Amino acid sequence: MFKFAIKNMAIKRVKIILIVISIVISASVALLAYNISEQVDDGFKSTAAYYDIIIGPAGSSTQLAMNTMFFTDKPLGTISYEYVEKLDSDMRINAVVPFTMGDSFNGAKIVGTTPLFLDGKELAAGEMFGEKFECVIGSGVAKKYGLSLGDELITSHGLSEGGASHDANPLKVVGILYRTNTSYDNVIFTALETVWATHDHSASEDHGDHEEETGESSAPAGHAEGGHGGVIDGGNGSEEESDHDHDHGEVCAILVKTKSFNHYNAVRSEYGEDSKLLVINPAEVLREVLENVDMSSKIVYILCVIILIMNIFIISVITLLNMYDSKKEIALMRLIGIGMGKINMLYILQNAIIGLVSTLLAFGTSRLCLMLMGEYVASMGIVLNSARIYPFEHVIMAVIFAISVIPTIICTLNMSRKDGLSE
Amino acid sequence: MIKTTNLSKHFKNETAIDYRDLVFEDGKSYMLLGASGCGKSTLLNMIAGILSPDSGSIEIAGVEMSAKPQKQKDKFRINKIGYIFQDFKLIPEMSVIDNINILRLENVDTSAADEVLDSLGILDKKHKKVKNLSGGERQRVAIARAIVKKPDIILADEPTGNLNFAIGEAVIKQLIEISKGKTLIAVTHDDRLSKYFDCTIDMNHVTGGRRDV
Repeated sequence: MFKFAIKNMAIKRVKIILIVISIVISASVALLAYNISEQVDDGFKSTAAYYDIIIGPAGSSTQLAMNTMFFTDKPLGTISYEYVEKLDSDMRINAVVPFTMGDSFNGAKIVGTTPLFLDGKELAAGEMFGEKFECVIGSGVAKKYGLSLGDELITSHGLSEGGASHDANPLKVVGILYRTNTSYDNVIFTALETVWATHDHSASEDHGDHEEETGESSAPAGHAEGGHGGVIDGGNGSEEESDHDHDHGEVCAILVKTKSFNHYNAVRSEYGEDSKLLVINPAEVLREVLENVDMSSKIVYILCVIILIMNIFIISVITLLNMYDSKKEIALMRLIGIGMGKINMLYILQNAIIGLVSTLLAFGTSRLCLMLMGEYVASMGIVLNSARIYPFEHVIMAVIFAISVIPTIICTLNMSRKDGLSE
Repeated sequence: MIKTTNLSKHFKNETAIDYRDLVFEDGKSYMLLGASGCGKSTLLNMIAGILSPDSGSIEIAGVEMSAKPQKQKDKFRINKIGYIFQDFKLIPEMSVIDNINILRLENVDTSAADEVLDSLGILDKKHKKVKNLSGGERQRVAIARAIVKKPDIILADEPTGNLNFAIGEAVIKQLIEISKGKTLIAVTHDDRLSKYFDCTIDMNHVTGGRRDV
């Protein structure tokens, strides 16, 4: 029967290919829509707010949180490293992690920080950066650029490609992080001193060039304009302000973990009084962002449901039309004496093959789209894992398979009530 | 032996055909002649178990068939009856051999296909698609599918209806030849072919045509 079913499908291959394509398109859209909405949601939720305070230059709290936690957008500007030293000596504080960003490697952002920033992240190879010009790269960066331990990276000024390159100060890859399916996968981490040293060197080499730059904004550690090694620099990360040379002694943000809730309140209140500083609780800001994401997710879910209902309708119609075309063939088989049981089995088998192939192809297509979309979404701080399958996706695939077969059963049962001459 | 008793069939257009009792003996060939609508094809369909009579009975080899469930009638038809349809009832996109092998869905032995196709002179067309064959060749394929299972009864509804007389005559001769020892009942309009059959039945006298219900 299987052989005959394949032969029978082969003679209608053009029609069957069109049916499969129709099902694959509609089913993969449903799978893709659901998977992306879930992964985006998970991406936000999985970035645990370990630090209870983030201090940065005055500006947008969302931008500060998203920049330090998801490496998206540009830094707001810079603040003096003296704040780090002051916080470090504060007995109320458990951990202080400076954060700076302003350079990139082929578009992959470079974060200047301390190894503490990567606490909890495991190395797949190598060791944590220690010396100047050593770096640890995210798994996505390693994969995308084919980097391995010992490779040297020529970084460039600015957060996107095309900035002035720091040829004299290549970064050496000493460690590669395990894949985390978070924005950490697409970032390069190095010591704060590396960023300062890179820019000290660049500043002494081509100070004039930097002053002429008007393009990509960068707000890394330091701002030498006017030589003000003051407390605050930057401000809102505007291109004009952030396009500058880099000086020792400045960071874009400071991540702080206090010892207790009381200490948290005291520290927040103390630093919050400084109008030039922005002091945020990342969990609070993330919650606000998530509320917006939740609303977006709800809209996406509604769209998913609509797409699924449309898919059910489209696939049912396609299957029914296919069966309608087969009515003559079924009548013929009945006339020569083939029982309805065998005919039912034959057409259910054929449509099951179509349903199975379509479902598998739809799944493959959705994963391929996830891979292709991954790079685009990564720029928003979300890493899409094409291998991630949600349980509900199995339900969607089961429904697609079922609606490829159920109309066949209905149709053949309906035909079995008539004699072969009726068609 | 096929024996029909008090057969009657009603149609949706509120007409009915009543049949006189008929007996078809084993191993003989019968030609059913008659005007259109007199009930020739309906009789074949009732004997084949495709249609059920509204009254009366059809006894085949001593077994009352008309009251059997459709499943049993289908089983009987595919195993014991070779039915040759006027419009061939072949799948045009399929090859000759695949049209014959379709019977395998019901586990019918089609191993004699080559032999039968050879006897009908179309063995060289075995792998050709039916849609690429001539009318005469298609009719032979339909005959091949009907007789490959070595049925006890062969029913042929206008087997020459789509063919010119010369080809039709050749087909009938072949049909008679390969039906030797079996019961052959063939419906045709052309009384010139009656000389090849053991018995000719004028269906106009058997039914008297359709009556309003």
